[in-house]
Amino acid sequence: MPDSRVLLEESPGKRVLLLGNEAIARGALEAGIGVVTTYPGTPASEVGDSLAAIATKAGLYMEYSVNEMVAVEVAAGAANCGVRALTAMKHVGLNVAADMLMTLAYAGVRGGYVMVTADDPECHSSQNEQDNRFYALFSNLPCLEPSDPQEAKEMTISAIEISEKLELPVLLRTTTRVSHTRGPVVYGELTKPNLKGRFIRDVKRLVMVPANSRPKHSVFLRTMERAKEISEASAHNRVTRESKNRGFGIISSSSAYNYAVEAADLLGLGANFLKLGMTHPLPEKMIGEFLRNHRTVVVVEELEPYLEMQVKAIAKDRAPNIDIHGKLGKAHFSREGELSTREVVAGLAEITGRKLPIDFKGIDEKYAKVAKDLPRRPPVLCAGCPHRASFYVIRKAGGEGALYPTDIGCYALGIAPPLNVGDIMICMGASLGTAQGISRVTGAPTIAVLGDSTFFHAALPGLVNAVYNSAKVTLAVLDNATTAMTGHQPHPGTGLTGMGSPSEKVAIEKVAEGCGVKYVRVVDPFKLKESQRVLREALQQAGPSVVVFRAPCVLMDVREKRRMGVKIVPYEVTEACTNCMVCIKLLGCPALLVEDGSAHIDESLCTACGLCAQVCPYKAIEAGSAGQ
Amino acid sequence: MKEFNIVLAGVGGQGTILAAEILGTAAVKDGLNVRVSEIHGMAQRGGSVTSTVRIGNNVLSSTVMWAKADVLLGFEPLETLRNLRYASEKTLVIVSDERIPPPELAAKNLAYPSMSDIVVQINRLAKKAIVVETERLAAEAGSVLTRNMVLLGSLAAAGKLPVKTESLMESLEELVPTKHVEMNVKAFKLGYDYLRKRA
Repeated sequence: MPDSRVLLEESPGKRVLLLGNEAIARGALEAGIGVVTTYPGTPASEVGDSLAAIATKAGLYMEYSVNEMVAVEVAAGAANCGVRALTAMKHVGLNVAADMLMTLAYAGVRGGYVMVTADDPECHSSQNEQDNRFYALFSNLPCLEPSDPQEAKEMTISAIEISEKLELPVLLRTTTRVSHTRGPVVYGELTKPNLKGRFIRDVKRLVMVPANSRPKHSVFLRTMERAKEISEASAHNRVTRESKNRGFGIISSSSAYNYAVEAADLLGLGANFLKLGMTHPLPEKMIGEFLRNHRTVVVVEELEPYLEMQVKAIAKDRAPNIDIHGKLGKAHFSREGELSTREVVAGLAEITGRKLPIDFKGIDEKYAKVAKDLPRRPPVLCAGCPHRASFYVIRKAGGEGALYPTDIGCYALGIAPPLNVGDIMICMGASLGTAQGISRVTGAPTIAVLGDSTFFHAALPGLVNAVYNSAKVTLAVLDNATTAMTGHQPHPGTGLTGMGSPSEKVAIEKVAEGCGVKYVRVVDPFKLKESQRVLREALQQAGPSVVVFRAPCVLMDVREKRRMGVKIVPYEVTEACTNCMVCIKLLGCPALLVEDGSAHIDESLCTACGLCAQVCPYKAIEAGSAGQ
Repeated sequence: MKEFNIVLAGVGGQGTILAAEILGTAAVKDGLNVRVSEIHGMAQRGGSVTSTVRIGNNVLSSTVMWAKADVLLGFEPLETLRNLRYASEKTLVIVSDERIPPPELAAKNLAYPSMSDIVVQINRLAKKAIVVETERLAAEAGSVLTRNMVLLGSLAAAGKLPVKTESLMESLEELVPTKHVEMNVKAFKLGYDYLRKRA
C-alpha cells in the first residue's frame, strides 16, 4: 500500500486489499483507539508504521517507543486514564514487556487496551520461534487469534470491547502468515478517537504493593471466570463446518486453520471444524460438547501444542473416551517451523489411514535434482552499507584474537564470510552484557557490536553495568541514523518522532559519557585508517570504551541523493587490476562480481561508497567519470 | 472458480512484493477472493524472496503448496530454479533474463549457468518456459526498476490469469508513485506485447 490514507476512508462496506497488519491498523481506527505505541519488529512493524503515517489526520497519538517495555508502560498509563490504546510488537518484544504484562494483569485498565504480539514461526526474521499464546496462559489474560486480515480487523475491535468489559488488557496474537498476508477486508464505520483522559486516583486498584496485589489477584481470577463466559458466547469460537460425518472433528486456530481446511478438502475428509478465535480462556463447554460429538478429534496448530494440552485436559473431565491427535504422544505434526497445507495433509493422512492425494515424494525427488547444485543466496549487507566498512575496521583492529558479541539488526549479517564478525547473538542489547562476562573470564579483547536503535532499546543498563563494574569491553555502536532492518523507523537519535515532528536528538556519545564511560569516540567508518587507529586505542583502555561508527544507512542515503538530484556515479575497475580478487575476498559486496574471471563492478548496484577502492592493493578501482 | 496460484520468485529489492500486491488489488477489483503472502525484514536484504498470490472462492491459506503453481513468475533465473518445487507439468514458467549472481558464485569463482541450461532444467519439471528479455525492455521503458511491471505485463499476456488486464493497469496506477506511473505503464505494455508475440 503506497498510501496509508486508504485506511482513513470512511466508506463502510468498501472491500480493500489489506496486509494483516494494515487490517489491525484499520481495526484500531474503527475502534476509536487514541494512543498507539510500538517498537518496530518483523512481522509486527506495519501496524505502527501505517498508523504513524496518518496519526495526525486520524486525530490519534502515535509513538515509536524506545522499547516494548516502555511502549506498554505508556499505553497502560493512557488506558488507565480511560483512553483506548494499542501496542504492537513482535513476539520477542513481549519478553521485554513481560514484567509490565504480568502485573498490569492484576491492576488492569479502564480504557480498552489491546497488545498485538506477532509470532514468527520459521524464524523468517527472528532469533527464535516462541509461541506467545503461552503468555496468555502465563499472565492469564484474554487472547484472540485471527486467521486472516478480515479477522485481524474484527478481532482488534473485539479485543477493545472485551478489554473494556473486563477492565483487562487483551492480547491479539498473530503470526507471520496473518500479519504478512494480504486479503480482502470489508470496512466498517470509523470511530473518532478520544484522546482526553482522566486519571482517577485509586491506590488499592493501581498501586501493586503486596497488600493490594493479594486482593487484586483474587479479583483478577474472578474476572477471568467472566472471560470464560465471553469465550463460550464469542462468535470467534464456532463450528465452521458441519458434515454428516460425526466421527471426525478438527480443532484449529490462526493460520493453521486455513491449512487444515484446505488439507481436509484435498483428502476428501468430511470433517467437522471447531475454529477457535478466542484462545484464552478457552470455551471449555463448547470444546467439551464438540469432543463428545466425535470419536476422533485432531488438533491442528502451529508451533507448540498449546490447544492440544488444554483440549486433552478438558477431555479428561468431559469426554474421557475420545481419541485426540496432534503433537503430543505420537507427533503427527511438527513443533518446529511453519505449518503448511502439505504438512497437515500428511498428518491427517497418517491419522486417518488415507492415501496421500499428491505424490510428495516424487515431487521432492524431482526437485532435489534441480536444487542440489544451486548456489545459496542468503540475505547480505546491501552494496554501500556502512556496516561493511565498520566490520572491515573491527576485524582489522581486533584480529583473530578478539571476540565479537553481536546483536539484533542488519549488522547481524556481519557473521557471514568474508566479514566474519559475530560470535554470540541472543537478544536485543545482549551483545554488551555477554561481552562483559566473556571478557571477564577469558581476558580476550572483546568488541560488542550493536546498532543505534538497539543502543537506545536495550544497551543502557549494560553500559552502566560496564562502567560500574569496570568491565574491559569495547562497544562499537554502528550508527546508521535509523532502525534499518524493520523499515527505517525513526528513533531517539534521529531527532524525529513517529508522527513526523522534530524532537530533541539524543546523542549516543553524550549518553555514553553521561554513563561515565571515559573513552568515547565518534568515527566515520569509511575513513578506514582513522577508524582502525581509534578502535585500537579503545581496546587499550583499562575500562569500558565506546566507539560510534557513524554513517547513514545507504538505502536512505541513496534515496535522499536521488531526491536532491545528486547523481551517483558508480566506481570502475581499471586496467591496473591484476585479478587478485582481494576486494571480493575481503568485502563480499554484492556489487563486486566476477565476470569471465575478472573483477567487475555492477553499476546498477554500486552506490559509490568507495570502500573497495580503499582496500584494493593495486589502486585499480577508481571513482567513475562523472561526465559520461 | 477453481483456484489459481501464482508464485513470484526473485531477489530482495527486485519488486516482487509490489507486483504481488498489484495482482491482489486487481483480484479484489474484479470481486474475487484472494490471498497474497510475502516476507519482510531480514529475509529481504538481497536474499532469495518468494511471494505468492492465490485467487479463488475457496482459497484460505496464502501460501502455495509444492507443485501447485499455475504460473511461476521468475524475476531471476537461479531463483526460478530454486522455486521449481512449486511447479508441475501443468505450470507455465515465465522467466526474466536478468541475472543476479549470488555472492557464493564470485567467492567460489564459479560461472553463472547459461540461459539455455536453465530453460532445459525448467522444462524438466514444468509445462513450458518462456524467457522474457526483461533487462532490455525495462531499460526501454526508462529504468531497470520497472522490471516487475515488464513481467506483470508478460503474465497478463500469457492468458489464463483470472483477473482483467484493465484491473491490473488500474491497480498499477493506484499503487505506483504518481510520477513513475507513465514509465511503469510503458514497461507493462512492453512486457505484454513481448509475450503476445512469443507465446
